[in-house]
Amino acid sequence: MSPKRKISLSEEELVLALRNREKIAVEALYDMYSASLFGVISRIITDTAIAEDVLQETFVKIWHSFSGYSAEKGRLFTWMVNIARNLSIDKIRSKDFKNQNKNQELENNVTFIDEQRNTVYKPELLGIRELVSTLKPEQKSILDLVYFKGYTHVEAAEELGVPLGTIKTRLRMAIQQLRKHFN
Amino acid sequence: MENVQAYIESGILELYVLGDISPEERLQVEEMAANHSEVKAEIGEIELSMEAFAETHAVETSELVKTKILNSLLVNLGDDKTFTKPRKHNSEEVFEDEVDNVIALPARRSNFYKYAFAACLTLLLISVYGIVNLYSKLQESSTQLTAMQLDKQKIANQVNVMDDELDIYRDTSYKVLKLKGVAKSPQSAMTLAWSPVTKKVVLDMHSVKLPAHDKQHQYQLWALVGGKPVDMGVFDLNTDTASVKQMKSIAMADAFAVTLEPAGGSAGPTLDQMVVMGGTK
Repeated sequence: MSPKRKISLSEEELVLALRNREKIAVEALYDMYSASLFGVISRIITDTAIAEDVLQETFVKIWHSFSGYSAEKGRLFTWMVNIARNLSIDKIRSKDFKNQNKNQELENNVTFIDEQRNTVYKPELLGIRELVSTLKPEQKSILDLVYFKGYTHVEAAEELGVPLGTIKTRLRMAIQQLRKHFN
Repeated sequence: MENVQAYIESGILELYVLGDISPEERLQVEEMAANHSEVKAEIGEIELSMEAFAETHAVETSELVKTKILNSLLVNLGDDKTFTKPRKHNSEEVFEDEVDNVIALPARRSNFYKYAFAACLTLLLISVYGIVNLYSKLQESSTQLTAMQLDKQKIANQVNVMDDELDIYRDTSYKVLKLKGVAKSPQSAMTLAWSPVTKKVVLDMHSVKLPAHDKQHQYQLWALVGGKPVDMGVFDLNTDTASVKQMKSIAMADAFAVTLEPAGGSAGPTLDQMVVMGGTK
């Protein structure tokens, strides 16, 4: 296995290969999605060692419950990132984790972690900082809470002290903003 | 159409993509997506943007983590292939081959453990038996040892007594006095040894010929010093079984006498119960 070469397949090919339990599918899956999944996990869990454990748990779970994924219900990444987020949230809400770790302040999260780690800046993604700055503060905070801190929208409404409907609207607006940016 | 648009605008599709939704709502969204292509398209758009958003936040893992995770997955893959494949073959050879590979090895191994376990169990039983045996032997010997020590002590005591007896004969200062029966009991007689030097008075219990007494009475020895009786202690024909009995000490005596007294002795002699008497000169 050459460490430099990364395997990339189309999503359909990957799903098919995973269904057939092919070895190449495992590597392709890892090469294509580990960084994105680890990005999400390590924003929920700031301890690198624990985040790496959760990443492993995530891949094991993806591998074992792959029969539960169906392409009609959505994209592969959506299914996987929800597994990763659920495992991460379970971990930070577990007793032993709470005892050994305090979460960091919300406000500085994104930039702080970006400074801490060697985040990959792909050429097409160079606009990330502008992107984050194009989001309104309340859109940014709702995305942080729900996407990176593992809050449910109900918990986020309580945390921010706004009605549920407002939370949903803000979340939608934030994602609309992202769509505009990426298209 | 109005309804569908309102449904899209409600924000529930975003929550659906984020997985932050109840199972009932999930079914509802999936039904809507199945029936309305614009809902399905909207979901796809949201998914793509969230995926892109995640990519902008991607964090590369180290090679070490990659190797570790891939290995753990590939181990699983090996198992999966071994245990899920042998369903659809048509050649018998392959079948046998795989059966050999899959079953023979674990079977041999489990046999080994079975024998090892049996051997361990046997060893354990033998050891337990040996320990129990040794323990009972140890108990036996320590009982014997105690008994022998008791014996030894008894013999040592006896030797001491004998030594004392011998001393009476060796020590020339001892006088052997024969006490004769008085008029009341002419058959009575006994012998005692007295040493004015060591002041010891020893009764020769074998020589005592006195009328038997009951449990309420004991014989008491008296020494007469200048006409006055001095208590020399009591002796009991029933319980004093040793061959000699040492009495109280006295340096000077004119005569010795024995009277029958209530058990434990009296302060002064009951003269009409006197049985034997003898002078020292």
